[in-house]
Amino acid sequence: MRSPKTRDLAWLKTIPKSAAVLRASASVQARVGAELGLPSISSFGDIAAGASTLIVAGGGCLMDEAKHFRARRRPMLNPMLNLILVPSIWGSGAETSPITVLNCEGGKRIASGDEFLPDTVVYWPELLATVPPARAKHACGDAWAHTLEAFLSPLASDSLRGQLATLIGEMLRLPLAADPRWFQASARAAALQAGASVGLVHGIAHVLEYPLRARYPGEDWGHARLCAIFLLPVMRLNRAASPKWADLARQYAIDEAAVWHVLHQLFAPEGLAAALPFLHENWMQILRDPCTRTNGALIRPRHLSEIAQQAAV
Amino acid sequence: MSALAPAGLMTNRKKLEDLVVDVFLLDPKEFHLDLKREEIETWDSLGVVSLAVGVQETFGHHFTQDEAVGITGIRDIIGILEARGISFDA
Repeated sequence: MRSPKTRDLAWLKTIPKSAAVLRASASVQARVGAELGLPSISSFGDIAAGASTLIVAGGGCLMDEAKHFRARRRPMLNPMLNLILVPSIWGSGAETSPITVLNCEGGKRIASGDEFLPDTVVYWPELLATVPPARAKHACGDAWAHTLEAFLSPLASDSLRGQLATLIGEMLRLPLAADPRWFQASARAAALQAGASVGLVHGIAHVLEYPLRARYPGEDWGHARLCAIFLLPVMRLNRAASPKWADLARQYAIDEAAVWHVLHQLFAPEGLAAALPFLHENWMQILRDPCTRTNGALIRPRHLSEIAQQAAV
Repeated sequence: MSALAPAGLMTNRKKLEDLVVDVFLLDPKEFHLDLKREEIETWDSLGVVSLAVGVQETFGHHFTQDEAVGITGIRDIIGILEARGISFDA
């Protein structure tokens, strides 16, 4: 797998502006546009035929849309479109991952391939000032979900688990708050999980994001929040269903108590209570989700009640 | 045997039936020992992964890759497990 080049803001400012186009999410649009001297377009369809560089600043969803656009739709118009991603928040690791997860009616569409990798990633730590504390915590939950679910994945090799165990040790030293070191940590988590799989937390997040957003349009029911909420209940389920977590934690010298402490900090019982009716309603679809089917422990229909009980804990 | 019997009191045949029903999301009435992979829509490559995880949790046997991809039906699973000393009598 090729790796995108990593650059900083000073480099980004040297990009010739005449053939560049910017697409930025609302939270960073004014700041990025002013700094680069480029207006932001509102749709990838608005890219002029003569453009040669696409700069995208935003979160995982927008970056995945850009990767998909460049790989699947743009080649018909201009195969040389240079893609530069500027993550405005960490967690998804979308900026370095060969996987795209696209929102579509009723769920997510996942695709994978080297063609989705961008050419360059620009880390711009000052953009973290735009991230509210709650979203920062959710983003940490996203990175932790990638890391722990990949570590437990039945598709993970010994070598991959070794790298993930090292990453777990490093992530335990990071605060559950805005910190530029999360960019690198979450990018590594996303790249490593691409070599294995994820599990039930992601199955739940993929299925519930759409109905929760539709029901509560003004609230932040995104992928990262769902990962943060469900990571503790799902890890408890994994621990109860199989000795795998305990055995692997021992084998790879993971500080189990410290990991459980993080999971408790990420957990939000009121969030679980709000999501619970949707979990009941969509449980069979969650069981069929490809991520659920590669969970570290077998997820059975009866496990719904075990997760539901945790809303009362 | 009751469907709610504790796992420790179940026969291995019942444990396998529950496992296959849960992994492939079948109606329990659909299960029989002559069930073949091609008859079950959810027995795809991810179904093989889930089945392997479930067999390890339930019977303590980790399928080799050759075993996992060579299984064509329920009787093949029984054959592999019996070869490891797990009895499916009665």
